[in-house]
Amino acid sequence: MYITDLFAISPQYTFNLEFEKGNWKDNNEKYYSAIEPSYATFIPTQQLRRMGKAVKMGIGAALPLLNRNKQCDGIIIGTANGGMEDCILFLNQIQQYAEGLLTPTNFVQSTPNALAGQLAIATKNTGYNMTHVNGSLSFENAILDAFLFFDEQTENSSLLVGAVEEISTYNYNIDLLAGRFKQEIMPNNELLNSTTDGSVCGEGAAMFVVSNSEENSLAQIIDVSHITTTKFEDLEELLAQFLSKNSCDPTDIDLLILGRNGDARHEKWYDHFARKFESSACLGFKQLCGEYRTASAFACYLAAQILSTRWPFPTSIRKAIPQKVRYILIYNHFDGERHGLILLKSPR
Amino acid sequence: MSKVFITGMGAISSIGLNVQENLAALRSGKSGINKARHFQSKYTDSLCFAEIDLSDVQLKDRLGKPQSKDLTRTTLIALSAFNEAIADAQLSQDELTSYTTAFISSSTIGGMCYTDQLYTDANMFDKPSDFVRSYEGSDHTRRIAQEFELKGLTGTINTACSSSANAVMLGVKLIKSGRAQRVIVGGADCLAKYTVNGFHSLMILSENPCKPFDNNRDGLTLGEAAAYLVLEGEISAKDKKKYAEVSGYGNSNDAFHPTATSEQATGPLAAMNNALKMAALTPEQIDYINAHGTGTPNNDRAETYAFHEMFQKVPPFNSTKSYTGHTLAASGALELVFSTLSMLHSELYQSLNWSQPIDGFSIKPIDRFHQGFEIEHLLSNSFGFGGNCTTLLLSKCI
Repeated sequence: MYITDLFAISPQYTFNLEFEKGNWKDNNEKYYSAIEPSYATFIPTQQLRRMGKAVKMGIGAALPLLNRNKQCDGIIIGTANGGMEDCILFLNQIQQYAEGLLTPTNFVQSTPNALAGQLAIATKNTGYNMTHVNGSLSFENAILDAFLFFDEQTENSSLLVGAVEEISTYNYNIDLLAGRFKQEIMPNNELLNSTTDGSVCGEGAAMFVVSNSEENSLAQIIDVSHITTTKFEDLEELLAQFLSKNSCDPTDIDLLILGRNGDARHEKWYDHFARKFESSACLGFKQLCGEYRTASAFACYLAAQILSTRWPFPTSIRKAIPQKVRYILIYNHFDGERHGLILLKSPR
Repeated sequence: MSKVFITGMGAISSIGLNVQENLAALRSGKSGINKARHFQSKYTDSLCFAEIDLSDVQLKDRLGKPQSKDLTRTTLIALSAFNEAIADAQLSQDELTSYTTAFISSSTIGGMCYTDQLYTDANMFDKPSDFVRSYEGSDHTRRIAQEFELKGLTGTINTACSSSANAVMLGVKLIKSGRAQRVIVGGADCLAKYTVNGFHSLMILSENPCKPFDNNRDGLTLGEAAAYLVLEGEISAKDKKKYAEVSGYGNSNDAFHPTATSEQATGPLAAMNNALKMAALTPEQIDYINAHGTGTPNNDRAETYAFHEMFQKVPPFNSTKSYTGHTLAASGALELVFSTLSMLHSELYQSLNWSQPIDGFSIKPIDRFHQGFEIEHLLSNSFGFGGNCTTLLLSKCI
């Protein structure tokens, strides 16, 4: 399948494409918050007021794409947590008012499928509609679902596929208590060299128009796969099957994009993985967007930009990115338990 | 492209702790809707629920996990139905752990079912609770994958009340595409204060047991359940018993309102039509419909309208939610299990709590238990908030 259009709202200036010109934002905060566009220009104020941040970012990134690409045959969203802020706001009401009479707004906004549903209403799209909530594999599953959709199409068709995750006080607290974030402030430029436990929380929405037709292709997504395991041998086996199925040799991979997040406990997965690709250039991305469960969607956004524009991406961890990048492999894991692979290729 | 068969089933609901107990209740017209005994909420006095009659401790004992501290009720009931389904399909250890065996689940409450602990953790009022790593929507999926060392693809869907119907659809697609040879599909949702208060704030809960398709229906009854089915492709299912073939599915968004179905039933009609189109069947060939039938004024009117639009003569239909309540994400898979039982045993189960047709329509749901009723093809409907509509089509194995 081919990426024909894309839009990201992220902790970088992606929404106005300043990021792509080299205008990178340094982050020295407790978490890396998304830089949001002014939504009021395209979302009616009354609706905007009700929306939580995840829905807002999701609509903010998806609606411009759906407006530019009116023929989308469906909408597939991946989100581990959906509108967590609204969820806990509703929960707080339940506790504070002892299950009294509550207003449903937070409840309705908190459901993970609120975004795909509201996008369908906003664009009168009665086509295929799906929301994947498979934790850190939610975006991978959205891509997988798109592959399965195109398998059944006999004519040219296209889909909106993307992912969103928000930072809320509450999901931050929960993941902090669970030991997933650093106790200290970690400037993003130093994140990947960090030697302490935990990462830094990020957020964002990355949306793509994908098509089964090569016309206007920015990049091709060749395949996606994933595994739940704590054993490196299992991942190794999956990787071997994945590359062989796609007739790819490790030496074909010009660039590896790895989900390194500065968590000293889990770096070994990436070290092991990178050893399989000695000749590939290597890139991290969570210094740009922070850690969140659908961060691989941001990696996919970067990959598509690199493949389509060859814009000069400076920081390669291992060796310079070649002038001509043909194949990019994204590997991301969460907690060393769930591991995702996405393989992309440059357009012809 | 491979045909896809149901080769195993597992279910736990308010009408039974396994498929056989569920079947017995359906045959005898015994509903599981009652006063809650285990679930605690302000609303347990005023409302009725369809509760699984086991406490968390009893569920853990039954699963042989009395010591576990961080397993939520969602995971416990999911494990129960999952165990039954894989045993029923006689999946070997090699089959289970194969890279070509996938697991697609679904839930709406997921790991957030213990409202009190979540409240404390999310607001950092105290030390982390036992459940601090259990809140993800897909927590049960990850834990089951790890417990059984599943190496294949996993998935978790949340499209509200159509979640597990979509999980079934995704499972079928994985097999057809060759990405999996067998897939365990389904969903789990347990009663939670969060859900009950959410539905209460929308004013769609009935004080009495729900009355699907009755003119005086006044809302739904919340229930809890987990149901899983084992789907296998032709090669994998070769020498096995096959309950039914999943021969079609349709997915559409109603694109009308976040929490209501359009009067013209755009989404429901598209879902049913797409399912028929895929199997190249006409409406006359459908022998039975397991309706979504929540008992809310809005859903049942829209669904009735859709039946009238679609069929010259509406086939026999029921809402088994009159037995199990609305089990949300689990309902699609649970009702597919019930539909499979109907087809397998050539019988129709009575739709309970019905007395008169909806104003402006004449159709009535199945009003008694029928035996000797041959079903070649059937539809099972699931429509959710967010406009998510899915229909599954089952056909008899030839």
